[in-house]
Amino acid sequence: MIPFTRGLRIVVGLELAQRVRGVAVYVLLGLFTALVAAVTLLLWATSNNSGMDGGTGTGGYLFSTIVYFVLLLGTLLAPALGGAAVNGDREAGTLATTQVTLVSTSQIVIGKFLASWITSLAFLVVSLPFLLFSFTLGELPPRTVLVSLLVLVIELAVVSAVGVGLSAVIGRPLFSVATTYLVVAALSIGTLIAFGLGGLAVQTEQRNTYIGVDAAYYEEGETGAPDCLPPEVYTTQVPRFDLVWGFLAANPYVVLADASGGDFDASGSPVDLFGAFALGARAAQIPPEAETVYDECAALRSGSMEDPAPTPEDIWNSTTPSWFVGLGAHVVLAAGLLVWGIARTRTPARRLPSGQRVA
Amino acid sequence: MTQKPLVTRPPAPPGAGGIVVTGLRRSFGDVHAVSDMTFSARPGRVTALIGPNGAGKTTLLLMLATLLAPDAGTISVAGHDPVTSPEAVRRVTGWMPDVLGSWNTLSVRRAIRTTALLYGMSAERATERAEELISLVSLDALANAQTRSLSRGQKQRLSLARALVHDPSVLLLDEPASGLDPAARVALRELVRGLARDGRTVLVSSHVLAELEELADDAVFVEAGSTVSAERLARAASAARPWRIRAIGAPDALALALSELQVPRSAVSTIGDSVVVSVTSEDVAADLLAGLVQRGVRVTTFAPAVGDFERTFLDLDREPHAGRPGGGTAAYPAGHDGPRESGDAR
Repeated sequence: MIPFTRGLRIVVGLELAQRVRGVAVYVLLGLFTALVAAVTLLLWATSNNSGMDGGTGTGGYLFSTIVYFVLLLGTLLAPALGGAAVNGDREAGTLATTQVTLVSTSQIVIGKFLASWITSLAFLVVSLPFLLFSFTLGELPPRTVLVSLLVLVIELAVVSAVGVGLSAVIGRPLFSVATTYLVVAALSIGTLIAFGLGGLAVQTEQRNTYIGVDAAYYEEGETGAPDCLPPEVYTTQVPRFDLVWGFLAANPYVVLADASGGDFDASGSPVDLFGAFALGARAAQIPPEAETVYDECAALRSGSMEDPAPTPEDIWNSTTPSWFVGLGAHVVLAAGLLVWGIARTRTPARRLPSGQRVA
Repeated sequence: MTQKPLVTRPPAPPGAGGIVVTGLRRSFGDVHAVSDMTFSARPGRVTALIGPNGAGKTTLLLMLATLLAPDAGTISVAGHDPVTSPEAVRRVTGWMPDVLGSWNTLSVRRAIRTTALLYGMSAERATERAEELISLVSLDALANAQTRSLSRGQKQRLSLARALVHDPSVLLLDEPASGLDPAARVALRELVRGLARDGRTVLVSSHVLAELEELADDAVFVEAGSTVSAERLARAASAARPWRIRAIGAPDALALALSELQVPRSAVSTIGDSVVVSVTSEDVAADLLAGLVQRGVRVTTFAPAVGDFERTFLDLDREPHAGRPGGGTAAYPAGHDGPRESGDAR
């Protein structure tokens, strides 16, 4: 038996040399760098020209945009890079020759996962200069930077693990790559669809009361105390997004946002894309009121307009964070698929899926 | 070299080297790839695994190589059970698969070195071992070439080198000679004979029967997932076999002599400039030769037209499970009841 980490290192080295086809990956990395550079430049330029608070918020938005870019590219590319790691080797006839050596199946599968993860991290590495630049523009506390990068790295690991795990579970490379894409799409877009449709499907009645003012008040030049009209009551159907917001918690973009957001400026607005995204998800937690009353008359009489709407910061503070639930579920899914994949690849093989050869 | 087909010999005592297989069975769904295999392969000898396509040879080798678990039966490879202690079997077994997989983008040197590392060798030892094996299989000129650029025969040699990386005491070679040019075949034969001479157990499956004749000490015949029983082999061995005869001198002398020796015409055929006679046993063949020489026929070639392995293989293939020795073709001697048409010899 080869010591676990030593076996892992050999497999990772082999995998990186074998699967990471030089030119293609470098071209992708180059394109990605150019894209990030362009986005950085444009965001920076527009914020300077429009005189957006003298640059306030630019650094935060720039940083979070780049992080989201890396997550997008990573989740789009990881399935292609690692989605055929095990079954592709089987088809090429190199899996069995590795399995008859002294490395264990766990070392092979986990090594392939690590190699796929390292490859997707390359996108993070080339974007580091831009992240650093946006960080030096200020505004973002180091905590946000650290947490967002950590969550990003974990999410990339999850996608890599799903890809490699499925490639060990499913026999044909094309099918396992497609399934990995489906899983990524289900988490990234499917959760949004489920959230939207789920919220609309479950609707409740809302009772709205409106107390208006006699038109004479306005005709008389808005002087004196207005005469109140009798309350008008009508009901509407409102979607219950508060019942299905859990779907959003499973979205990797929301996980990243929810974990990293929480920085607000003086007026209570988020200073980065994380906060903006997370607020959208957090606001869905608030149930619609069963009854709303808009008393225009009373407001005019007392001279003060209605209560000020809660600021984003107020909403943030009144709702529950959910990122650890989503992240935990992702990690469990990834680890489960890896474990399943190892079990399916173990030799001497007892049961084989029909049509699958060991070698 | 003795070439007596050897199928069943008493299983070696447990713990002994070599390969001992008893009552092996393995199915894939409804397909019974291996239904009943029993044989042994001894250290110091090359054992041929002979059988038609789909007879279960590769499945058997996969089980010996610890990749597949059998449904029933026992295996001992160098005294270890591949199912319960695959680790121990892998340490002493070199497997050369029939599928020629190679790490495409790696160089030949790096591919062998990586295999050595996977067998737990230190980095220095692995580098050393790669150089040894590259020259052993004559890939020196291609050591830095990517394996994807290798020809089939070169990949075959790379695969052999990989199987030998950890100096195994048991070698499982699945079709090792396919794709090799004649020179490489000779080299392979010398290499494999040498490995057996050093006391290793070598099990070779191949379709090139003529080649196995020169390579193997023993043979295991498999058919439809089962090893062929000793009785059927004995029957096959006693069946008529063709002998090739060539002679110089008067063109009709050989034909005349054959007819004088009462060889039925149906047992004689002409292929090119030689005559092929179906003969039932070596005794008869010896008598026939003596007769020909006595009659003044200047014989230059008098030999079996096919090798032992090929004859047995073909005979089993032709008569699957039927108990008829000798097949349906006429052979010499075929009794003396047939009418002789001596007139046509003239």
